[in-house]
Amino acid sequence: MITSSASGLTRRAFIAAGAGLALSPACTVPAAAASQRVAIVDWALLETCLALEVTPLAAVELVLFRRIAVEPAVPDSVVDLGLRGSINLELLSGLRPDVIYGSSFNLWANDLLSRIAPVRMLSVFERGVRPYRKAESAMRTMAAELGVPDRADAYIAALDSELAATKAQLAARTDRPVLIINIGDPRHFRVFGEDSMFGEVAARLGFRNAWGARTSYSATAPVGLEALAKVPEAIVLVIAPIPPDAAAALPQSALWNAMPPVREGRVHMIEPVNPFGGLPAARRFARLFAGAIEAAA
Amino acid sequence: MSEPATSVRRAAVTLAAFAAVALALFGYGVWSSWPASGDELGRIVLIDSILPRGAVALVTGASLGLAGALLQRVLRNPIADPSTLGVAAGAQLAMTAATIYAPALMASAREPIAFAGGLASLALILGLSWRRGLEPVTVVLCGMLISLVAASLSATIILANGEYMMSLFIWGGGSLEQGGWQPTVALALRAGLATVAVAIVYRPLVLLGFDDSSARALGLGVTGTRLLALGLAVFLATSTAAYVGVIGFIGLAAPNLARIAGARRFAAVLLLSPLIGAILLLLTDGLVQLAAIDETEIVPTGAATALFGGPLLLWLLPRLRPSTPRTTAAEASPRRLSKPGAMLALVAAAAVLLGIAALFVGPGEGGWTIATGPVLEAVAPWRWPRILSAAACGGMLAAAGFIMQRVSGNPLASPEVLGISAGSGVGLAAVLLFVPEASLAVQTGSAVSGALLALLVVLGLAASGHFGPERLLLGGIAVGSLSGALVTTVIARGGAEGTQLLNWLSGSTQLVGPETALLSTALAVALIAPLPLFSRWFAVLPLGPGVSRGVGLSPSLANGVLVLLAAILTAVATLTVGPLSFVGLMAPHAARLTGIARPAPQLLATVLIGMALMIFADWMARGLTFPYQLPLGLFASLVGGPYLVWLLNRGAARRPA
Repeated sequence: MITSSASGLTRRAFIAAGAGLALSPACTVPAAAASQRVAIVDWALLETCLALEVTPLAAVELVLFRRIAVEPAVPDSVVDLGLRGSINLELLSGLRPDVIYGSSFNLWANDLLSRIAPVRMLSVFERGVRPYRKAESAMRTMAAELGVPDRADAYIAALDSELAATKAQLAARTDRPVLIINIGDPRHFRVFGEDSMFGEVAARLGFRNAWGARTSYSATAPVGLEALAKVPEAIVLVIAPIPPDAAAALPQSALWNAMPPVREGRVHMIEPVNPFGGLPAARRFARLFAGAIEAAA
Repeated sequence: MSEPATSVRRAAVTLAAFAAVALALFGYGVWSSWPASGDELGRIVLIDSILPRGAVALVTGASLGLAGALLQRVLRNPIADPSTLGVAAGAQLAMTAATIYAPALMASAREPIAFAGGLASLALILGLSWRRGLEPVTVVLCGMLISLVAASLSATIILANGEYMMSLFIWGGGSLEQGGWQPTVALALRAGLATVAVAIVYRPLVLLGFDDSSARALGLGVTGTRLLALGLAVFLATSTAAYVGVIGFIGLAAPNLARIAGARRFAAVLLLSPLIGAILLLLTDGLVQLAAIDETEIVPTGAATALFGGPLLLWLLPRLRPSTPRTTAAEASPRRLSKPGAMLALVAAAAVLLGIAALFVGPGEGGWTIATGPVLEAVAPWRWPRILSAAACGGMLAAAGFIMQRVSGNPLASPEVLGISAGSGVGLAAVLLFVPEASLAVQTGSAVSGALLALLVVLGLAASGHFGPERLLLGGIAVGSLSGALVTTVIARGGAEGTQLLNWLSGSTQLVGPETALLSTALAVALIAPLPLFSRWFAVLPLGPGVSRGVGLSPSLANGVLVLLAAILTAVATLTVGPLSFVGLMAPHAARLTGIARPAPQLLATVLIGMALMIFADWMARGLTFPYQLPLGLFASLVGGPYLVWLLNRGAARRPA
């Protein structure tokens, strides 16, 4: 059903078309999906829902979502509920959703949200638990509840085969481990370790994680630049956005320029991906990752 | 051997010991990363990261020490420093805003931006406290308030723009991590320039230690010298902020330690402060690196300085010379109404009308509309709890502010500086950090415990000084700074808990459901209703302890009871609307301005005005950027801040020379 094309444009177009179909009465969408008015207050679940070709009624912080998570494209009909940390409850209640999807990130709002509609908690990210499998089960659960279980199966199967194909394609380049980072400022970065979503995807593509098993701080605490010296053999993948002052200062940093990955041109930038996303973010990351590695060859 | 000589020697030995430990820690760092021969990369890490980190610690510490010494001299205030004066927070706000709204400018003009921000907040603080002759406690109070506003604004900007969150987190924590020598060189150059400038104005600075009239008699441009020295201090502090990040308390600690070490003359303080500052920061940074786990520093260096700075501030309190005698029963009403009834009715009507308007008129997808019929039925259940709890909290904060100002005799006292709200932040931070899955009830419970703990500490400090107003305010500020640093430490880790803390910091009524709203209303009534019973105390206390005793009132008992009440009022309100609003500061002033003079009616007017202000703020916070909501507390302070500045300056203009 979904091709394993690596082109984002095609897939986006496909999903947009799918979303359009889901809304159209003429299409043979299972009844539950067509009739459920879904509101989503968590980004990973928003991605998941859109990937299931169900257009939610409303979701949170769409301005930033379109800039940072980018995919899947959010249709204009989706109502913006404001910041993730400050959900506009009055607006949400006026939309009369049938169900609200949220995660442990919105635990604080649960009491009030459940006055509006039943709240379904599907957490992808929990301390000490790897997210990929949880993202899969979140997608399956949501698809089942929205009456479109086949779409989850199809999406997961397509993603699996896409990852397998990419893995085969990159097999010759897995001799070096990868270090996946965000630049914090001219002196710090944060690392996505083996237990992060990005780390798991890289592992599925056959790459070792240069950061190894130091997982207790996956993708939270910033690390000093000199730590790059400990992984001289790595390919460094920098996920945008890069703060403007860091972008200006890094090329002048003696330390940065001395690092083997920098010196030997093994640092690659990729477009923004939501680090706390669901399967669509994993998919986007895999595509951008493969593109960067390929381009470097 | 004379006594002073012994103490100076002891101090010198202590200082040398600290320096030795700091250098040993640094040496250990160098030794443990010493490259094997032929390890080119290891050599570069040593030369471009480890060594400049030590150097930048020394230069930054020295700059901040010098800045602190200058500020303390010019303002004749032993607790002045770039952090207590809001210079650091102002610089941080300017840089945060620039990162988001003018990234190109930020990349090219970091330092001027930081300087402008720091200078603006210092100017604001001095403007606010000018009328009270730059009296130390007032200056620091204003500094605290401006810092709070700046921090809250920064939090809001960060929250509304998620992309560069980590960058801003790191910067706010203050890290000495280095990737080359450029910052060290730049900072050393600036410190050198500042030293030359200080040498040029050294003689006038010495004379500034005397009071203004004698300095003027010696033929000195008092104002010019003061401004120059202040400018230098801001320049030093903000350039370190631009290159390194927010490093607090070094500027406070260094000159005070110099004095404790026996430096009596200004020259000695001026020479010792940079030295002590350099040693302190090197030591702190060494400890921070020692405590790091796996490349990851648990506490950012800037926040770590506050861990010793807070206690130091507490320790300094008893040594603070009593400030100018209080003036004031009579931050008097400009005019006195003989029959306040009509005015009270007017204020009450305004509050009620605002509440009704906020219920019916509101933003929706198609702009602002008046809700009626089914639409009203739909929105009312969401609006009334917010309006009610905003009113309740506004009333409680206003009452707390009224009490604080009466007890302390200081018109700039407000609930924010009691340290209570910051304490509740620490409670919340702890639970988010250690029990990430905790329920809202547990989070609230932990926040209450934090608030109570902070309250106990502040009250304990105040009790040891017979609840003297200064001890109370300064104790609150010290506890607040310490708690603020702890919260910053958690935020700087950058995880989901950081975002939640920022949310709390910016304050909001959006979590308020009907039960919470009714509960806070009940608490507000229960706590405010008995206050008129204390009318006589409110009338007598501002006249000073002598008068109080004269009429048979024990000032420590009265102060103790009232402060406890103010603290509870603040704690309850803070948990709902966040740590900051200014309502407690503004409402009593506005009430005085109506001309209602007697304590009981003035208290009532204060509470009503507080309610009205908060209802209005909540209304606008919901509506102005719909569907995105503004933080209530912040919005209230932005409404009230300019009004307060106007009010205070107006008073200054009116006062006969």
